[in-house]
Amino acid sequence: MTPRKTRLWLQPSYLAVMVPSVLVLATLVVCAIFADWISPYDPLKQDLISALQPPSARHWLGTDDLGRDVLSRLIHGCRIALIAAAEATGIAVLIGVPIGMFVGFRGGWWDWITMRIVEAMVSIPGIMVAIVIIAILGTGLHRAMFALGILYSTAFLRLARSVVLAEREEVYVKSARVIGASPSRVLLRHIFPNIAPPLIVQITLTVGAVLLAEAGLSFIGIGVQPPNASWGTMLNTAAVFMDLAPFLALPPGLAIVATVLSVNLLGDVIRDSIGRGIRTATPPRGRVQRAATVASDPVMPREDDVLRVEGLEVFVTAKTGEEVQVLSDLSFSIARGETLGLVGESGSGKTITGLAIMDLIGAGGRVTGGKVMLDGIDLRGLSRRRMIEVRGNDVAMVFQDPTTSLNPAYTVGNQIAEVLRRKKGLGTTEAQKQTVELIDRVGIPGAAERAKAYPHELSGGMAQRIAIARALSCNPKLLIADEPTTALDVTVQQEILDLFRDLQEEFGMAMLFVTHDLAVAADICDRISVMYAGEIVETAPVNALFATPRHPYTAGLLSASPHGSDGTPPLPTIPGSVPTPGQWPEGCRFSARCPYATAACKVRVPLIQGVRCVRSDEIRPGRAA
Amino acid sequence: MSDLVEIVDVTVTYWSRPGLGLRPKPFHAVKNATLAIATGKTLGLVGESGSGKSSIANALLGLVPVGSGTMRFDGQDLAAMTGGYPPEVRKRIQAVFQDPYSSLNGAMTVEQIVSEPLRVHTETGAEDRRQRAAELLSLVGLDPAHLGRYPHEFSGGQRQRIAIASALALQPRLIVLDEPVSALDVSTQNQIINLLYERQEELGIAYLLIAHDLALVHHISDRIAVMYLGHIVEEGPADRVYHAPAHPYTKALLDAVPLLDPERQRQRRAERKRETVPDLPRAADRGCAYSNRCPFAMNRCRVEAPPAYAVQEGGTAACFLLDENEKETRT
Amino acid sequence: MGRLIAQRLLAMLPLLLIVSFLTFSLTAMLPGDPADLILGDRATEAQYRMVHERLGLDQPFLLRYVQWLQRAVLGDLGTSFFNSVRVMDAVAQRIPATVSLTLASVLISIVVGLSAGVAAALRPRSWIDRLATFGATIGQAIPNFWFGILLAGVFAVNLRWFPATGYTPFGQSPLGWLSSITLPALALGLSTSAAIARQVRSAMVGVLQQDYVRAALAQGLSRRRVIFKHALKNALIPVVTVLSFQVTVLLGGALIVEHVFAINGIGSLAVAAVRQQDIPMIQGIVLVLVMIVMAVQLCTDILYGLINPKARPA
Repeated sequence: MTPRKTRLWLQPSYLAVMVPSVLVLATLVVCAIFADWISPYDPLKQDLISALQPPSARHWLGTDDLGRDVLSRLIHGCRIALIAAAEATGIAVLIGVPIGMFVGFRGGWWDWITMRIVEAMVSIPGIMVAIVIIAILGTGLHRAMFALGILYSTAFLRLARSVVLAEREEVYVKSARVIGASPSRVLLRHIFPNIAPPLIVQITLTVGAVLLAEAGLSFIGIGVQPPNASWGTMLNTAAVFMDLAPFLALPPGLAIVATVLSVNLLGDVIRDSIGRGIRTATPPRGRVQRAATVASDPVMPREDDVLRVEGLEVFVTAKTGEEVQVLSDLSFSIARGETLGLVGESGSGKTITGLAIMDLIGAGGRVTGGKVMLDGIDLRGLSRRRMIEVRGNDVAMVFQDPTTSLNPAYTVGNQIAEVLRRKKGLGTTEAQKQTVELIDRVGIPGAAERAKAYPHELSGGMAQRIAIARALSCNPKLLIADEPTTALDVTVQQEILDLFRDLQEEFGMAMLFVTHDLAVAADICDRISVMYAGEIVETAPVNALFATPRHPYTAGLLSASPHGSDGTPPLPTIPGSVPTPGQWPEGCRFSARCPYATAACKVRVPLIQGVRCVRSDEIRPGRAA
Repeated sequence: MSDLVEIVDVTVTYWSRPGLGLRPKPFHAVKNATLAIATGKTLGLVGESGSGKSSIANALLGLVPVGSGTMRFDGQDLAAMTGGYPPEVRKRIQAVFQDPYSSLNGAMTVEQIVSEPLRVHTETGAEDRRQRAAELLSLVGLDPAHLGRYPHEFSGGQRQRIAIASALALQPRLIVLDEPVSALDVSTQNQIINLLYERQEELGIAYLLIAHDLALVHHISDRIAVMYLGHIVEEGPADRVYHAPAHPYTKALLDAVPLLDPERQRQRRAERKRETVPDLPRAADRGCAYSNRCPFAMNRCRVEAPPAYAVQEGGTAACFLLDENEKETRT
Repeated sequence: MGRLIAQRLLAMLPLLLIVSFLTFSLTAMLPGDPADLILGDRATEAQYRMVHERLGLDQPFLLRYVQWLQRAVLGDLGTSFFNSVRVMDAVAQRIPATVSLTLASVLISIVVGLSAGVAAALRPRSWIDRLATFGATIGQAIPNFWFGILLAGVFAVNLRWFPATGYTPFGQSPLGWLSSITLPALALGLSTSAAIARQVRSAMVGVLQQDYVRAALAQGLSRRRVIFKHALKNALIPVVTVLSFQVTVLLGGALIVEHVFAINGIGSLAVAAVRQQDIPMIQGIVLVLVMIVMAVQLCTDILYGLINPKARPA
């Protein structure tokens, strides 16, 4: 595995933005530096006879009320714009960042007082602050820019402070303190580099804002003073002669828009490309190929099958824009009242399987093959409308983290009642009544009272009970539970597993139980499918799987589980780590980590008689412990 | 021989910060905890979320102040060092934290991360530091050629190895391991556990291993302590606590983890007492903190807090069931 | 909710105190002596002392601040240095124009920003999204006063649909008010619409990836319902905080846009006051603006508490 940095800004869609922006800004800088040589006329030279002329060969952009050449004034305006942006932004950074970092790190009274002053400044309209500061300092470019610098320093102060506050809580800062780094070292060496990315973005935003503000101040006459040419003062003139020479407003206005736009777009690209998570592992080659098809055993239809998945295949779009296969050759069935466990480590594709059944993978992914038969009907063939009816009524889902799978903005009772009203067409009072009954049914005392609680007011276990109540509100045939106990403490997990068992007895639904924990699967499942790298490697009834695992990966997982052995180290391990999607070996995907791998494992292996291993009969991995 | 770490009667208190004019309220994350870690040995500290196990770690690392009690490390009282630990103490206590994704600074290279302790505490030159960093990487099973890489280029297990390498850099006497493998996949967890065990055998470091899973802790701990809502309810030799728990909470914790054997698990489930009131999160107001959930709770438990009673096979448990008088009256 | 409002009001007190102190300190920072400013160069020593005394400049700074604050609390912001107009009267006369311009543009920005943002978020990378994002990016780069000049040039000077200048009070003629305020409000509202659209879009895109949205979809609720009931309310939470800040920006922008349309609002009063260094006037204007901003903040805080249950005090 050789992960590389992906340079986002080298992608075509970004280049299309980058190139013009950089060109505009480069032109601005060149004009600013060489204004005296480039501009055809002296920007201050008046010629009253040829005042307010439209564009012509002599004056490409016409002349203003005093007969001065507009093009020359525009070019000299670049210089002012550049100076303004550099001065004000520089002052803002120099004042804001150190103070922000200091108060963020120091906290206490320093922080409190500084932030009250900042709040006070921010609650006065920015232009008014600038006007007041200019009242003290007097008018003129440099003074006005000093005023803007002070004004925008509050933005940098708050940015630096919030980054320090956020990073201070990060574990790596804790580590640095444990190592014994002094506070100033923690601040400068460990935290400061993390300020740089948002700082750069904020600088571009500020440059844009400064350009607009400078133009505004000059426009109302307290920034750059006439006769000096700034884009703002030029617009001031244009406003006065709006009806006589409407063209006058265009050149300086467009110059401002082009400059600010370029700076902002550049800032957007920078922000996107330095955002966390962009730098991901990418496959060394270009497009990832679809896994070769194999002739696995078909899923035997059973009398009371509720769900039968056949040859499911899913691709998702990675952050790099490439399509990556995450599921292949996935087949299983679940009968009425039965619980099938889908067990695997992170990245095995177990969660996406649940979502694929629900057709809820989202915009980033698509199902490219296979069937999802619910009671004999292929869900993949249903219209979007029919699928909406199926969800909730026939198939429901419980998610891993109960505190995020309930909407924080509504009471839990409201969220259950909503489903009852929408899906079962109940009236408000009846829905209310059944909601309380459901909450009571999942073992929450004081149901009527608890219905009025918001999710954040409940413990994790309580919230998961509510989520289960909602999922079962329409009595679905199939319940998909995606790691429903992983976020909970073990004693709470036990209670929730009991609840699932009781409810299944009562409602008789089939369950697809997704988990990474083999022990949990042992407790709740009737049959188990073990997943590895996007495919099922073994399916077996629960007793058989634990007594005689047939795939080396299953055997390895069992013996590597903390409860799997009772001895002291060295504990049994599986060498290496789970390959990420896109990095799967071509043949047997476990072969790189498998102690039994041979040349025969170099080709795709089908799932035959419930196991995907060419040597399973011969090696009999069994249980190590 | 005296222990490397002796924690006696330690309380850790956090103060809530309400709005203007309101008085801050105390929250006791750890109450009167007493623990000891012998040189070169491992103490496993187990509990559910909110039990206070991480607060003990933070107190020992000097990250939160100790409210009362003493905390001796190598004979020095750490609890009295209010102005932070002096460097000679600091360099002998290191830590590895749970989340391998946020515990490494993404802006620093592996070499910088691993050699940072050397820069802070020693006068080692750049070349020596690099060499030492390479040694450390091979010590934790990573390729020294990867010194120039950034953390995001590694998997969770590899990152945890980097964190361990950094913790080993100063040859500490104690490493606090705060849930070092709970964010990792099952198939990589044991790799890290084995690594920790091997380095301990070689270098004679003591570990405070914090985790929520008793089974996992049991593998490499010499002693185990169990916490419940700020109290240490049981402490003793690892095998004794794991196989013959004395406190009802420890039993409940062990029973709550499903067995890997479906047949035996079914049996155990049938025998288990179902709790009538689900999900009681907070401690009982008076008496034993566990008394509102404990199936064996007596009247006395709801009034009086149990002291630590000696357990015959070793260690202690804070439960009146171990009181000789109680045993007599019950039999 | 009553407790929330009380808490917020209480938290505003120190802020008001700091702002008023900062504002008052200007007198100390301004170059030159106010008495000189008022009297000009040719004043006698006696005149000078009289003015000095009348302004209370011989008293200690803090005492003057306390006295000024006392009077301000009672609604007396002093008298202009130059034309013996009471500051309160001058501001009260100008404020309706500025406030109605700001409110109109707030309304425009919310309507435009919200609909563009939601439309863009519903279909990321679609042409609607690209158009809205592109429009928002351009909108944020256009100076409001330049946009005002263009609007006036096209719709007032050329087409003559709206007056190019001036402000008609609402009480005088509601229709006239509307037509006098339309172009300035559009000019002012452009960049804020863009800012809100961007904010709504990114908040919406974030919220649509949340577990509870997926869970609601898994429950078989229609996409429309999930978006407008479950997602929108949560997406509005960050938008409301931005809104409070944006109103401040609009109020400041109004001062400049007024200049384009020759509206006699706070803007021209402020510029004149700065040019003349009319200290009581500047102080009064800043104080009144801050009061308006704080009233807006209180409203958005209440709104925030209404849509975000976590923000309500337990």
